[in-house]
Amino acid sequence: MLHKRLNSLQLLPKMRLQKLLNIMLVAVLFLGASSLVSNLFIGDVYADSVAQRIQSVGSILLEGEPQPEPVVVEAVETEPAPAPQGAPKLKREDYPRVGASSRSVVWIAAQMHLFFAAFVLAVPLFVLVIEWIGIKYADDRYDDMAHEFMKITMTAYSITALLGGFLAFSLFLLYPQVMEYMMRVFNLQVLVYAGLFFAESALLYIYYYSWDALRYGNKKWLHLTVGLGLNVAGTTLLVVANAWVTFMMAPSGVDATGAVVGNIWEIIKGPLWNPINLHRFIANIAFGGAIVGAYAGYKFLSAKTVEMRAHYDWMGYTANFIAILAFLPLPFAGYWLMAEIYAYSQQMGITAMGGILAWLFIVQAVLIGTILLAGNYYLWAGMSRTEGSKRYAWMIKYIAMVLVACFLVWVTPHTLILSADEIKQLGGSHHKLLGPLGIMPAKNIAVNLMLIFTFLSFQLYRRADKIATVPYANFLNALMVVIYVVAIANVIFAGVYYGYFTNTVYKVGSSVMQVATTLVVIASGIIIDTFLFKKADMIPAVWGRVSNRSQYALFALPIAFTWLMALMGYVRSSVRTHWHVYTVMKDNSPDNFVPSIGYAGNMMTIVTILFLGMVLFIFWIASLSETKQSKPLAQQELEA
Amino acid sequence: MKILNNPLVSMLLAAIVVLTFFYFMNIGIMSIQGLPLNANLTPAQ
Repeated sequence: MLHKRLNSLQLLPKMRLQKLLNIMLVAVLFLGASSLVSNLFIGDVYADSVAQRIQSVGSILLEGEPQPEPVVVEAVETEPAPAPQGAPKLKREDYPRVGASSRSVVWIAAQMHLFFAAFVLAVPLFVLVIEWIGIKYADDRYDDMAHEFMKITMTAYSITALLGGFLAFSLFLLYPQVMEYMMRVFNLQVLVYAGLFFAESALLYIYYYSWDALRYGNKKWLHLTVGLGLNVAGTTLLVVANAWVTFMMAPSGVDATGAVVGNIWEIIKGPLWNPINLHRFIANIAFGGAIVGAYAGYKFLSAKTVEMRAHYDWMGYTANFIAILAFLPLPFAGYWLMAEIYAYSQQMGITAMGGILAWLFIVQAVLIGTILLAGNYYLWAGMSRTEGSKRYAWMIKYIAMVLVACFLVWVTPHTLILSADEIKQLGGSHHKLLGPLGIMPAKNIAVNLMLIFTFLSFQLYRRADKIATVPYANFLNALMVVIYVVAIANVIFAGVYYGYFTNTVYKVGSSVMQVATTLVVIASGIIIDTFLFKKADMIPAVWGRVSNRSQYALFALPIAFTWLMALMGYVRSSVRTHWHVYTVMKDNSPDNFVPSIGYAGNMMTIVTILFLGMVLFIFWIASLSETKQSKPLAQQELEA
Repeated sequence: MKILNNPLVSMLLAAIVVLTFFYFMNIGIMSIQGLPLNANLTPAQ
């Protein structure tokens, strides 16, 4: 039965993934819009209450109207309210010593927990969409793939919980006063988190284990509803935990001493909460897609039959599709987060991007460049699945050239760490190319062009097995070509003109113009292709007909993603410098300094290797459940 | 609709639509941020 189903994969229509693409885009836009709406209508947590703002400041009497008698309010003796308790002021001896760096222990525990949490929160999001596509088109292959994705998640979920416990114990043991203060601030909210964790666990197990029991008819809709509940619980869990992180970076609802003066909503909704929510939500999906892509690559390379290769090729394609699609808007979410950090505290922004942590953004560029090059390479290699791709093959070398050129611009640092001898040889501390190419306008051009060209690869891949039949095809094709040309010109114009020849305010403002241009290309590409390929003629795409080499791109993606998360997570956390809670609770522990880049790099590498090692363990466990030992020969003979 | 099958007409029409769209998008996005532009896209402030 599996053999039959997999045989039909040879001609699997890719059109249905269009739906997935649309739904994910809508989800991302929805989250962004809801963040915007909450900012606009819920407003600033520091704003006065409505009653205070609209209360009268005087009164007007009409002619002949008697003066109102003054109301005498008798003073009521009340007990003085207790003074609000501020954040504890810790001394060095207040921190327990365990013979190892407390920060390093918490660093590893927190990062490992976050890796697994990101994975297990993300996978059910796209699994739900894939399952829904399976229902809509009555196609069991989608259902099987969604089920297989969940199988990987189940082992990861247990590890997430274990690491969460390890992190909590580490924090309470090594930073008891910090945790006492955080518990005091967030109070019952932490129990909401615990409740959500129970709900998520229950729904996850029901969702996975009822897969076959609730497979068809109305029962399938019940199953889908459980999946929806699981994702609601998971996403709420994410945003609740994000509030702790953003409170430590940009505390709200407390006064300058750290005493709680606002309600829980004011504490949660700090200035960085929504940017982090959006950024983590999108990043988790990209990360989850990359991990399951590696699983598919692993299974593809170890497949013994053509059918299995076809199945895991399709699975890898879908995972890569999800990872790259979610990745495309991620730089913009990151940009919003950094803009809000700058708006909250210019000092904090400068520490991140212009100070001690600035060089890490060059490492970030290398990792993002690796992700984009690997993602593009996989798409180009995947074009060999269909003969129709020959129409577009000539463009690949030009796309590769643009990507490499932009990558080189992006990794160009503004300043170099040089010895006196090197400065002498260079004729100064700045190389002539570092001035113009090391600053943000050049990097903004590079990033946006890389995203536009990655989308072009993606679009060519999706067009490779289709021939448009609609009468207005010529016009739509011309429109798409012109959109690309004008968008590329607009990105370069905005970056060069406003970036180098106008004042700083216009320079910063023009980056929004560039972002909008890139988003227009992506949105119009999706819309135009939807209309262009209505009732299109399909050219057969043979799944499994892809080089083994391409699968290594699927391994490169999660490695780069994991490293990137470790890197940027460290940057985000370190911008607090010597504060547990920025400006409110000082860190006086032996680790109250920003470590050297080399030390931080080693820590990131350790957690990345640890995580990837555990992921391999998960893949092995997932494969083990499919393995069945054959009965020993002697026993078979005995039974015969 | 037949006229749209002519590649030159398609290209010209597409160019007009897209250039107009991006031109007003640039002005609109900068205006929203309080950064008005002149008609030739130079800063008005």
